[in-house]
Amino acid sequence: MPSTTYTLPIGPLHVALEEPMYFDIQVEGETVRSVELSAGHVHRGMEALAMQRNYFQNVTLVERVCSLCSNSHPATYCMAVENLSGLIVPERARYLRVIADEVKRIASHLFNVGIMAHLTGFDSLFMHAMEVREIMQDAKEGVYGNRMNLGQCIIGGCRRDIDDSTAPFLLGQLELLKPQLHELYGVFERDPLIRTRTQGIGLLSHAEARRHAVVGPVARASGVAYDLRRKAPYAVYPDLDFEVQTDTKGDVHSRALLRLREAVESVKIVEQCLRQMPGGPINTREVPVIPPGEAVARSEAPRGEVFYYVRSDGTDTPQRLKWRVPTYMNWEALQVMLANCQVADIALIVNSIDPCISCTER
Amino acid sequence: MLPFLKIMLRNLLLGPSTDPFPFAPAKTHKNFRGCAEHDPEKCILCGICRHVCAAGAIQIHPSEDGSGMQYLLWHNSCVFCGMCAHYCPTGALTMSDNWHLAHSGAEMFSNCISDFIPFGACAQCGAKIQPRPQTIIDTLGARSPDRFLLCPQCKRQGIVQNVAQARPTRRQENP
Ligand code: SF4
Ligand code: SF4
Repeated sequence: MPSTTYTLPIGPLHVALEEPMYFDIQVEGETVRSVELSAGHVHRGMEALAMQRNYFQNVTLVERVCSLCSNSHPATYCMAVENLSGLIVPERARYLRVIADEVKRIASHLFNVGIMAHLTGFDSLFMHAMEVREIMQDAKEGVYGNRMNLGQCIIGGCRRDIDDSTAPFLLGQLELLKPQLHELYGVFERDPLIRTRTQGIGLLSHAEARRHAVVGPVARASGVAYDLRRKAPYAVYPDLDFEVQTDTKGDVHSRALLRLREAVESVKIVEQCLRQMPGGPINTREVPVIPPGEAVARSEAPRGEVFYYVRSDGTDTPQRLKWRVPTYMNWEALQVMLANCQVADIALIVNSIDPCISCTER
Repeated sequence: MLPFLKIMLRNLLLGPSTDPFPFAPAKTHKNFRGCAEHDPEKCILCGICRHVCAAGAIQIHPSEDGSGMQYLLWHNSCVFCGMCAHYCPTGALTMSDNWHLAHSGAEMFSNCISDFIPFGACAQCGAKIQPRPQTIIDTLGARSPDRFLLCPQCKRQGIVQNVAQARPTRRQENP
């Protein structure tokens, strides 16, 4: 029956996709047989731009690589430059960086589960998840000055302190968030519509997760307890008490629940940081001297491990700045997750890796 | 649908969660990073703001008559990162909480900060130096008030004289 097999092109611009991406999907009836991915539709030449800007300007540039993990990029970039120049970041600044990272993680995870609800057609839940996220957006605006680009990291520390006026505000927002997050988890866990649409689809076994070396919540939902905050601790994570969330089911539903549990852990991390943060300077006042050489740094972004490489020839502009983002590792595994799924589930499965195309193609 | 019904009813009773902007003012936090503001009374034309601006929004041109510099900050190029304000040594640049930046197309080339900043004059020889406004003399200049108002050449001469005077005394002390 040759008429039942056809190629379904999805993208680069498609209503079900949040960002441009092209899928060539071989479909038999309603079932996906194979998937070809092609990328490169939002290439902005950011690595070339980075080589035309000095070390200070690049902090702003890399913050704009991606909006949802916009703190992970400058934080990791600054870590790489600090590694290169041997700059020691004050302890208070390291706490402030963790707070910024975790606040962004909560907002990013809530966005992703919200979009999942939207893709199942459950728009009132989507709206509600976005409204819960709004508590965090408000916190970001009140503490840092912007809803997305916090502008917190600079080479040598942080820019904005969390003082007597903003700390109670941030804690207040977390108090508002906690019951809402708990309630939302219950809905995502038990709602029959969400469960029928998302359980058992987009399966990624433990073995496949290792074979594709996936990172972040995608890896952890398939039983690979890989979290850089524990595997290669940076900033002040060794001093913080939190649990790496894992699951073994490896389907779309378990990834969403895992993200919500991580958001709960992030709330705990921020609270701990605010409690045990020491006083002192929030950045090194000196202007860093960046010697010739190369350095790397990595950190755990909301979507997984992000990796920065910087090479300097001793001038004020990097000779090369390169980064690898989590989605690059995760989207190859889509070929496994999408195999034999229903056409209607494609968007849900793609969303479950929390893809960030603009990071990956930059 | 069932676990969500309670939430839906509650949200319904709570009413809209959006601000009725533009019919009423939208809530803005005092820390909000909006439009940049420049105080020409504090600017010493050091150029650090231009150096750290990733967007290239800041330009500093010599004025036509050579008596100072024209300082330009283009709001439409600015990405509101606040790096300039963070690194400005005198506090001349600040980020306000104003985000009302909508303007007509005709205003595209005038929607910028444009400040003329006159050069200072060396207190000794009168040569042109970076601006020395009073607010800066009181703060940055407080460490060595007499040298702060000199041009580099007069400063150097002053140091040479000091050293020349200092040497003989030292020799006398250590024969
Ligand atoms: S605004 Fe500040 S940083 Fe910019 S030139 Fe003036 S003093 Fe220097
Ligand atoms: S806020 Fe950022 S983009 Fe705007 S002028 Fe200052 S440094 Fe440039």
